[in-house]
Amino acid sequence: MKRYALALAALIAAGPASAQDDFNLEDAVAVCSGCHGEDGLPVDEEYPILWGQQFFYIYTQLKDYAAGRRENEIMSPIASEFSRDQMKAVAQYFADKPWPAIDAHAEEGDSQIAERGITGGQCSACHGKWQGDSRIPRLAGQQPGYLRKAMLDFKNDVRKNAPDKSSTMKQLSEETIDALARYLAAF
Amino acid sequence: MKLKFLKALLALPLVLVAGSAWAQEEVGGGTLYGDLSYVTQDMLSRAAGDGNNFLHTNGNYQQTRYYPSRQINTDNVGKLRPAWIFQTEIVDTMETTPIVVNGVMYVTTAFNHVYALDARTGAQIWHHKHDMGPITTYCCGPNNRGVAVTGDKVFMGTLDAKLVALDAKTGKQVWETEIADPELGYSETMAPTVVNDMVLIGTNGGEYGIRGFVKAFDTETGELKWTFHTTAEDSTGVWATHDATGRDMLRDIEAEKAALAEQGDPYETLGGGVWQNPAVDLETNRVYFVVGNPSPDLDGALRPGDNLYTDSLVAVDLNTGEYVCHFQYIAHDVWDLDAVSPPIITTVKDADGNDVKGVLHGGKTGHVYVHKADDCSLIRFSEAMVPQENMWTLPTADGARMLPGANGGVEWSPMAIDPTQRLSYAINLHQPMTYTVSSTPYPEGKLWLGGSFDVIPDEEQWGNVTAVDYDTGKIRWKVRTAEPMIGGVLATAGGLVFTGEGNGLFKAYDSTSGAELWRFQAGAGVNAPPSSYTVDGTQYIVVAAGGNAQLNYKRGNNIIAFALAD
Ligand code: HEC
Repeated sequence: MKRYALALAALIAAGPASAQDDFNLEDAVAVCSGCHGEDGLPVDEEYPILWGQQFFYIYTQLKDYAAGRRENEIMSPIASEFSRDQMKAVAQYFADKPWPAIDAHAEEGDSQIAERGITGGQCSACHGKWQGDSRIPRLAGQQPGYLRKAMLDFKNDVRKNAPDKSSTMKQLSEETIDALARYLAAF
Repeated sequence: MKLKFLKALLALPLVLVAGSAWAQEEVGGGTLYGDLSYVTQDMLSRAAGDGNNFLHTNGNYQQTRYYPSRQINTDNVGKLRPAWIFQTEIVDTMETTPIVVNGVMYVTTAFNHVYALDARTGAQIWHHKHDMGPITTYCCGPNNRGVAVTGDKVFMGTLDAKLVALDAKTGKQVWETEIADPELGYSETMAPTVVNDMVLIGTNGGEYGIRGFVKAFDTETGELKWTFHTTAEDSTGVWATHDATGRDMLRDIEAEKAALAEQGDPYETLGGGVWQNPAVDLETNRVYFVVGNPSPDLDGALRPGDNLYTDSLVAVDLNTGEYVCHFQYIAHDVWDLDAVSPPIITTVKDADGNDVKGVLHGGKTGHVYVHKADDCSLIRFSEAMVPQENMWTLPTADGARMLPGANGGVEWSPMAIDPTQRLSYAINLHQPMTYTVSSTPYPEGKLWLGGSFDVIPDEEQWGNVTAVDYDTGKIRWKVRTAEPMIGGVLATAGGLVFTGEGNGLFKAYDSTSGAELWRFQAGAGVNAPPSSYTVDGTQYIVVAAGGNAQLNYKRGNNIIAFALAD
């Protein structure tokens, strides 16, 4: 929570990159790095890694935040400052970065529980080996806290911009989601 | 012309000398003539009798997957051994059918790599990686089901919705064309079909609210020749209340009519993907294909009407793409129990016992449907090959259990037939699922299922291989497998049926009795359709073992060719 406040302060200090005549990629991504990490490692375990994420996925999420299809009190206002081309530029910047290694470990029994959930939800049909591709985000090595939050947000209809994930996540117990978050983070 | 003929004459004796008695017979029926690396329309048209090559994803234009060679047969299949193994760069889901042209094999992998191999040795000739655009789409794995060949070109559809033509000799790209906008959810996993200087291809996207189609492109230039949209501008149909087998689908027609009045015709985002190759009838100049589910899959509220031509067999004119006839299996489908497995043209008995030209389709419902080719009408449907329960129970907010699960029955896996025994061979899944509906508006090119299908974790899953007499609809034999089946079937004149399993087993069955005659453990899921070919007098069976993303079967990267041990 403290970090969150710090980051917000940073954001405000940097000023809203206001409607985009004076858009500067470097300044824009400096704002992002306040939360998503200077070196690609986010400052809070519930903040997602952006470095090395899929271009089209990042771009789509920014579009969805801006359009209200995905709601988040931090990201919605940030994304709505950008035009589509600026979103693309930012997305490309982060997509081109190397994915940072995080220190994550699965617990005993996680993989059995996770595999059952994966088979039941037919996750691998889209997510394959979790590396991401275009519109599918990379999940392997993502922050476990963020993964858990994202799955719970789908399950509880908080995050609505991939509506079919909600149905899938509703079938999974919280225990399975916890195991999946650790399993994927350590994948 | 004269020169080509001379070359052919010179080539023939060579093969005869090298070949065994079996091979001599095969060469007689083959198409080893002309410039050996050049594929002519005549070769493509005569593929059903070609015991040397494997020129079409499903063997021939009729899509019988019945290979005419019998060097490998019920007596000796026990001696089948790997002749070579080729490992691709991509270790991921494989659905490719190896295509063989006079000793050169073309295979594809996930993410659109193409390899040309020496079909005798497995040695690589070239490797082409598609230059993938930033936007790809797939609901069911980054699959590719193989290439089509004609002239000196090789054709492939891609995950970023392109059609590419490669030089068969070098693998260099000759042209590329965008089939449809990938941002809207269009993409390609099917192998194209080539006929009369046209490349025919359908589209994925029934899970993304696309408007489906079959398109024809010029083989030389990539120019679009015609488009048939699989969702009709008036898609309402006849408000059918029962499915093809006569079961009540529990539609609320009044509510649908009210929704239609309010929302208008949903055809623009109605889905209707075409996942698999059309069968081509050169006698009548028609192509027959099956159309997949309506979008969104589980939520019928947003798409009132029969949703024509989803979940249907459709015939169109080969030259113009104009509609000829259709038959809808399930009107207003809300279970994704759609039509995917490629149709087969063959002679069947009609209701009066007369031989007529027919079309077969193996449904996700678990029935083999037998149609009259003439007007697409249904002659009969087979006994169910898998358990059916609670059909048709509507999806609910909490999830309703119904069998079969949404993968089938028969998934995209091509069937094979043995026309001499009048049997079709299908592989099936038994995967109990719940069907959940949750209504959301069109999300502009994102996955749009309108709910979910979920495997019930505690219920047993399995699969089977089933032979159906298509003249009667009766099951002749059925063999259970440990896991749900996805991939495809090859039948041969040697009295054999070949098919693989998710656990890595690749098996040969006696096509008359279903007796297992041979098995091989490939080390990764064998979930691709096998093919067969003959080079230098040796018949090979070849299959990809790369596992399957959708069913999460162990991934691999092997192309394995088998021949008889001495
Ligand atoms: C104050 C902290 C903060 C700042 C600054 C910030 N983000 Fe975020 N970002 C978050 C949080 C928290 C989430 C998770 C929100 C959610 O769950 O929807 C997030 C989510 C995202 C996502 C979705 C990622 C995914 O995996 O779904 C994208 C894309 C993103 N941010 C891009 C950016 C960009 C680009 C910038 C700079 C222009 C930026 N963010 C600035 C905190 C921040």
